[in-house]
Amino acid sequence: MAILPRALPTAVVLPVAATAAGLLVGVGLVAATGASVREAVAAFWDGMAGSPFAFGASINRAVALTLVGLGFIFANRANLTNVGAEGQLAVGGIAATALALHGAERLPLGLAVAVPLAGGALAGALWGGIAGLLRVRRGTNEVISTLLLTFIALLMVYGSVQSENLLRQPMTSAATLPESLEIPVRTRLPTLLADPSSPLHVGVVLATLATLGVGLVLVKTAFGVRLRAVGFNEVAARRAGIRDGRLVVVALLVAGGLGGLAGAIMIQGEQYILKAGFTSGYGFDGLVVGLLARGSAAGVVAGAVLFGFLRSGGLSMEISAGVPAAVIVVIQGLIVIAVAGSAILAPGRDTR
Amino acid sequence: MTEDQIAVFFASSLRLAMPLVLAGAGEMVSERAGVLNMSLEGMMLTATFAGALGSWATGRPAVGLACGVAAALVVAFVQAVLSVTLRANQLVVGIGINILALGGTTFLYREIFGPLSREIIPGFTAWHVPLLGDLPVLGAAFFRQVGLVYVGLAGVVVIWLALEYTAFGLAIRAVGEDPRAADQAGIPVARVRYAGVLVAGAMAGLAGVFISVGDIHTFTEGMTNGQGYLALAAVIFGGWIGWRTLAACLLFGTATALQFQLPAMGIEIPTAGLIMLPYVLALLAVAGLTGRHRPPAALTIPYQRGG
Repeated sequence: MAILPRALPTAVVLPVAATAAGLLVGVGLVAATGASVREAVAAFWDGMAGSPFAFGASINRAVALTLVGLGFIFANRANLTNVGAEGQLAVGGIAATALALHGAERLPLGLAVAVPLAGGALAGALWGGIAGLLRVRRGTNEVISTLLLTFIALLMVYGSVQSENLLRQPMTSAATLPESLEIPVRTRLPTLLADPSSPLHVGVVLATLATLGVGLVLVKTAFGVRLRAVGFNEVAARRAGIRDGRLVVVALLVAGGLGGLAGAIMIQGEQYILKAGFTSGYGFDGLVVGLLARGSAAGVVAGAVLFGFLRSGGLSMEISAGVPAAVIVVIQGLIVIAVAGSAILAPGRDTR
Repeated sequence: MTEDQIAVFFASSLRLAMPLVLAGAGEMVSERAGVLNMSLEGMMLTATFAGALGSWATGRPAVGLACGVAAALVVAFVQAVLSVTLRANQLVVGIGINILALGGTTFLYREIFGPLSREIIPGFTAWHVPLLGDLPVLGAAFFRQVGLVYVGLAGVVVIWLALEYTAFGLAIRAVGEDPRAADQAGIPVARVRYAGVLVAGAMAGLAGVFISVGDIHTFTEGMTNGQGYLALAAVIFGGWIGWRTLAACLLFGTATALQFQLPAMGIEIPTAGLIMLPYVLALLAVAGLTGRHRPPAALTIPYQRGG
């Protein structure tokens, strides 16, 4: 692609500058609380990568963010803004939990793990696909529909663990929490390392494959070119014989599917229990990652790793240095605003 | 239901609808001018915090009101600079602002009040409207609320009238439908859009202050809890028309009140379905399944002269 060499510098410089500025403000905030910056940074580092557990947990976070971010850039290539990843995570988690608790355990080979994962991806794809269909058939702006679908999905998680007829664990006392049972061990993602303290699981392999897949499809295939054509100019693409309606639906199906897979991985890889709010903002963080990446799959990985480590470090900073983890949220917000605001400086791409 | 229960139900419906009514009316103006503020949630949250802080620090709820509205206006100004002047993606900016507002208010709250404090702040007291407040049922339902309810409702009506019958309202609608034509007719597109966003900010400020200073009398982290998004949904469900948006806000408020009221009356219903209802209705509305309502033609599209 001829425009790459020229576009690359701004595409890299802007997010990096925004991230650096955000981190600087974060350090300033830490200093303003009167906490020792050195202590806070040390706690931050411990939480990110100070132990096999911390490192594994950070990478696992990055896995979910990578999948969501990849989905974002995939749909965004067709100039679609999928803000519904949080909901796609949620329905993916519901489907994976339901399958893991009802039957998947008895499947042979790796299917006990794979079937719930696939179910989660399918559910997410369906959720994204609804927005695609509405866009094509009814002209509904996908930003609004994916956002509304997100709230519906989050409430579905809430609702599904409220009733024993759905996914709530059997009520043995009034104190029984509104959550699902733990999913069976056989349906959980296997961990990768021999070290039992490391939670690093095979999700990282799936995320790597997804990154390669999305990167190749977007850059090397005719499908990627068609997506891009629709993104640039729908009318011209249609004249060139590209069936844009179908592409729009497929783009959102894929984005939703990646989100749903991420949701399934969050349940099967780490949480093992479905409960209200289990997505805890990963969908929105992943959206930010996708946005920072400016269309590059490698950029998504970089952003996801950054945010995965930031989240882990922030939690540790709060626990051991007494600095509110909200500092990390402030940094993330500043990065998004800085990147969005400086888009006017980037060549080529439409800001819509 | 006894008369008391009916009165309590209507009173709480109105109380729970109020933040939506206020924020929704302002957001409708901004969207009619072509700017969608996903940041409505962030504006409201900032105002709940700034309002609580102002009221707590001075002991005067009125100062809290001023602080809350001022803070929301600052947030709105940031949204306007980014989305009108810098032509950034309005939705992405809005999401960024919401993240920042959540992080910023949580951070300041922990630093100033300490973690998990539930400090009671001085709030507005209910106003017993003379005569009307003594009516049976109706009095307790509608005429013993805090003054902000009546001021806010009056403000909403003023906004509708201004949008329909004044030159300013015409300018708002013009830049939201066809900014190029408006520009050629001599309407300052950017300035009108700034005004629209600031109206949304001021109303979101009132909504936020209503929550913390007017209703709950404290601040908690992430206190608005999605009400800004619900107000956005109400504007969509209301088809960008004043009275329909108001009706949508009241309906959503009633749905929220029902989830508390029905269990209290011993009726077991899946509350998730009730809370979900507003979003489902809004989705049906944007899908054009509840009558055809067209968004303003230039909604979310930045305007660049000669571009």
